[in-house]
Amino acid sequence: MRERHLMLLHYATGLGILVFGAIHVWVVFFTYPLQDTIWETTLQFDNLPFAVLPVYRNTLLALSLFGLLVCTTVHAINGLRVIIIELFGPRGITTLLTKVLIGLGAFLVIYGTRTILIANMIT
Amino acid sequence: MMGNVFEPPGLSEFVHKRKDGSAVLSSLIVMLNPSKYGLERWSYVLQRISGVVVSFYFIAHVLETGNFFGGITVWGPISYETAKQSYEAVKAFLKDPLFDAGLAVIGLLVAFHSFNGIRLILAHFGLALKRPSRPEPPYWPSSFSNLQRALFWLSIGLAVFALVYTLDSLMGVFRS
Repeated sequence: MRERHLMLLHYATGLGILVFGAIHVWVVFFTYPLQDTIWETTLQFDNLPFAVLPVYRNTLLALSLFGLLVCTTVHAINGLRVIIIELFGPRGITTLLTKVLIGLGAFLVIYGTRTILIANMIT
Repeated sequence: MMGNVFEPPGLSEFVHKRKDGSAVLSSLIVMLNPSKYGLERWSYVLQRISGVVVSFYFIAHVLETGNFFGGITVWGPISYETAKQSYEAVKAFLKDPLFDAGLAVIGLLVAFHSFNGIRLILAHFGLALKRPSRPEPPYWPSSFSNLQRALFWLSIGLAVFALVYTLDSLMGVFRS
């Protein structure tokens, strides 16, 4: 993939993070606690027992969380790769570090997906 | 260079290579030192610092939320009671106000990175820029228009607001 395409992907995932991140912050910190603590508009997450679970158990919200996970991973890994290229140039240690970053990204997506799935399937 | 493809050199190739091998450190210092440059360089440095710190927070957040459901050794469905026990253990670990303060800093960095990122996307596609002009002293970049400057300062303002709001929400700093 050429750099200009990667840059467009960087922007697209950045905008994706804004959308999915807004949903994530909203449902985790604002919407759910309102059901138990009426009209408390500040963060009450810690005062509720395991309040975040219903967020994960809703399939649509779990899918949006997966979208956030993928977008953030791609955005973060590509951003770190760009910084490494700026520091070291496109060859040499950059190639190795890029492979390490891709491995880290794959781990984060797999492990994060596992968390979303387990939470979604809790009985 | 490889064929006709231009490959930009890294900062470390411009930095004097010292005998103790500290060229990487020197290139980092060059990259992260915005003094003697304009506002756009500050934006560049802050965008990179905020991006790197938030990336590390993201990695920690994925690992931390994984611990809510038993950690890396658990890869199948678990019961509500087991999950609740793991959750309570992680919650007890995160009770330190230092984590709340850290989260407030993350709020600041995320807000700045997001809004400054939108400004950079606009600039990339040629929006909100001035017309190109002949470079003349003091060589202010014509790309950094008044609107772009306003958007940069708006990013700073919104980031500070995010910090204040998060501090108040998590720690009740501004509540009587």
